[in-house]
Amino acid sequence: MDRPPLIEVRQLAKHYGGVIAMADMNLSVEPGTIHAVVGENGAGKSTLMKVLAGAVQPDSGDIILDGQPVSIGSPSRARQQGIGIVYQELSLFPERSVLANLFVNAEPTRGGFISLSAMEQQCGPVLDQLGLHVDLRGPLSRLSIGEQQLVELSRVLIEKPRLLILDEPNSALNRAETERLFKVLEGLRAQGITILYVSHRLEEVFAISDRITITRNGRDTRTARTAELTIPQVIEGMIGQHREAMFPPPLPRKEGVADRALVVSGVAGGALREASFSVGSGEIVGLAGLEGSGVSDLLEILFGTRQAKVGHASYPDGGGLPRSPTQAARRGICMVPADRRKNGLMLDKSILFNISNVVVGARNDGPLTFFPSRALERAQRQIQALRIRAASAFAPANALSGGNQQKVVIAKWLEIGPDVFLLDDPTRGVDVGAKREIYALIRQMGAEGGIVLFSSTELPELIGLCDRILVIYQGRLVADLSGAALDSATVLHIVNTGKLSQDTTLARATP
Amino acid sequence: MTEIDRPASPAPRRNRFPEEVGVIAALLLMLVVIGLARPLFLNPLNLFSLLSNSTFLGMLAIGMVFLLAIREIDLSVGWMFNFSAVIAAMMMVAGLNPWLAAIAGILFGGLLGLVNGVLCVTLRLPAIIVTLGTFSMFQGLSLVMNKSRAIVPSDTTSTYFTFFKERLFGVVPVAGLIFVTLAIVLHLVLHRTRFGYRVQAVGSNPEAAKLAGIPTGLVRLQTLVLMGAICGLSGVMYVGFRGAIDPVEGSDFVLVVVAAVIIGGTPLSGGHGTIIGAVVGMLIIQVISSGLIFFGIDATWSTFVTGAVIVLAVSLDQLIKHQRARRADRIG
Repeated sequence: MDRPPLIEVRQLAKHYGGVIAMADMNLSVEPGTIHAVVGENGAGKSTLMKVLAGAVQPDSGDIILDGQPVSIGSPSRARQQGIGIVYQELSLFPERSVLANLFVNAEPTRGGFISLSAMEQQCGPVLDQLGLHVDLRGPLSRLSIGEQQLVELSRVLIEKPRLLILDEPNSALNRAETERLFKVLEGLRAQGITILYVSHRLEEVFAISDRITITRNGRDTRTARTAELTIPQVIEGMIGQHREAMFPPPLPRKEGVADRALVVSGVAGGALREASFSVGSGEIVGLAGLEGSGVSDLLEILFGTRQAKVGHASYPDGGGLPRSPTQAARRGICMVPADRRKNGLMLDKSILFNISNVVVGARNDGPLTFFPSRALERAQRQIQALRIRAASAFAPANALSGGNQQKVVIAKWLEIGPDVFLLDDPTRGVDVGAKREIYALIRQMGAEGGIVLFSSTELPELIGLCDRILVIYQGRLVADLSGAALDSATVLHIVNTGKLSQDTTLARATP
Repeated sequence: MTEIDRPASPAPRRNRFPEEVGVIAALLLMLVVIGLARPLFLNPLNLFSLLSNSTFLGMLAIGMVFLLAIREIDLSVGWMFNFSAVIAAMMMVAGLNPWLAAIAGILFGGLLGLVNGVLCVTLRLPAIIVTLGTFSMFQGLSLVMNKSRAIVPSDTTSTYFTFFKERLFGVVPVAGLIFVTLAIVLHLVLHRTRFGYRVQAVGSNPEAAKLAGIPTGLVRLQTLVLMGAICGLSGVMYVGFRGAIDPVEGSDFVLVVVAAVIIGGTPLSGGHGTIIGAVVGMLIIQVISSGLIFFGIDATWSTFVTGAVIVLAVSLDQLIKHQRARRADRIG
């Protein structure tokens, strides 16, 4: 190590009740570098970041800043020390203006009044640097999630931190936005700002970081220069054992499964312009597209939360487009929404309650009564089948890790044995171990004759799992890729440009 | 999370004690304290008249639990009560059999609830907004019907006018018995039926409920109709009990009703409700107002004390939740 570390953490420990979040965490960050911290959910990395940001107090251990032991008692103390943090979940005020969000509780004043023009002046350089050109006086809620994330980052950068902590900053960003973010981070590093970067996406960690610290079970297991590590090594460090391939192999088709299909003809609505395609039973079809391209609108139309302006579809049960999610659920069409905390779960309710959502809540057949004993049987069955890790079926959904929460969302649908699976980015914010289990579940859905439509912001996922990939660009279905055309360069090119690259020939392409 | 990563074992029960233990203990404590100072208070006849006095508002509180559980609130309950009672009483004045008039009154209450429900669902407005309007609409229409005078059925020979006042074995009031029966039935409805499950699901997270295929609009409508029908039932029983309905009766009900539900432990944040708690909450309010009289304190103080109890109950609740949240706070 050529220079003394900017910040050092020694033997940090923290527990919540009986749950150990950090056991013995050590970290040493060289100034002017991008230092990544990786680990599965529950490894303690977020707790570590919260301690550094002053939001959480450790039980024991030392923090050494510039060679001096310090105690970071509160978030404002952290800010005074030059530590800024961008949390995974946005902490913004959607109804207020972008400007108001940039200067929360630090509004510049002129003559005792808050000065909007002073605000605009102060944030101008940072916004230019981030390439964020939006209506600053309009409400934040008009911005896309990616832009909101950049607003959050700008807010921290305006305070000119020495150490910038990013806790999974790009979980909501699409590829173009992520690339822009990385350019910004490189610029900040060139200015001498030290960056601590927490992420699940290993490819990106390798693309951006100088050094990597791997954490597991509340301990740091290894720190090394990025150049000295490989992705399999990091994964091994995270889970403590050799891992099989990330994507389980295709399963053999179950015997006696009828051949049925979902046929979509000329469906349009929202950003989506007339799209036609069909998916047969047992097929896993990926949906690729940038945010706002119409992928989520397509899924919403197919599930009945959005009405199609034109077009029709034919489902395996013979019916057309569902008119409401209730109708969809009763016809065996299921949807795993992207934002599981907001749209997928009743967080204060038990796993048992959540798993009964569809069977009891949506369906109308069966008895009018709701027996907790029967719901418990259901929950136990799914907890076992999907290996949901929970204290008990009575534990609230809130107490689960992201991956286990997502399994609960999937489990409630598996209870009714759906024919059509609509999965909207089902592995967002899920740790590597749970991701693999979810991939296996998707394979199983296909093997049992399900029709699977699967959208994802992570291209390797689509390529690793799907039989075909439909690419939507600016509302138009521009490509239907399969076989040899399924490689990341091809898909990436179409996703970002809407055009086929010249040197690739495609099996089929819808104009 | 070392603790949570255990695979699920055969589940232990969630709570060792039912959640209503706290509020029941508070009620018993109050009875003991008042009883030690004024033993007459614990006379069964007095205790049962507490129950009987809680009946009409208590029934509304039971319905209100469903509304808070679905993350809504109905402000118009007092006037649905009044309007249904006025309609039933006017039918009795017109010579209809009081029992039939009562059934018509209950249905009329359900109809008023349907008006609230249809407005909420079609306009996609929260019930608090809609019922703020219908509060005055129902009041106004009721005043038009009764011409601002009490409606007194003149022919009170029917068994209807003695039935609710009757006391089984000389002590147990029939009206109170109906109240308790309704509470038990609706407790089962909330916790053991598909409808009750849906109410809790919608209240816990309306967006997730919709995306799980739960017919959220229908559930909301059903809940508001149920509330209206309960108001109707309470209203027509009141006519039988008092033999008349005053034009302003019901004007101040809603705050007491919501207070009882909150004292009972139903949160305003939705997703959860306790009917037993609401019944006990209403009894606590009754014990306060009649206990004060036993101590010779002016009855006008009871409103203040009731308010203070609400603040006390919610702060205790908040304290417990805070402690629990701090313990359960798990961050990876």
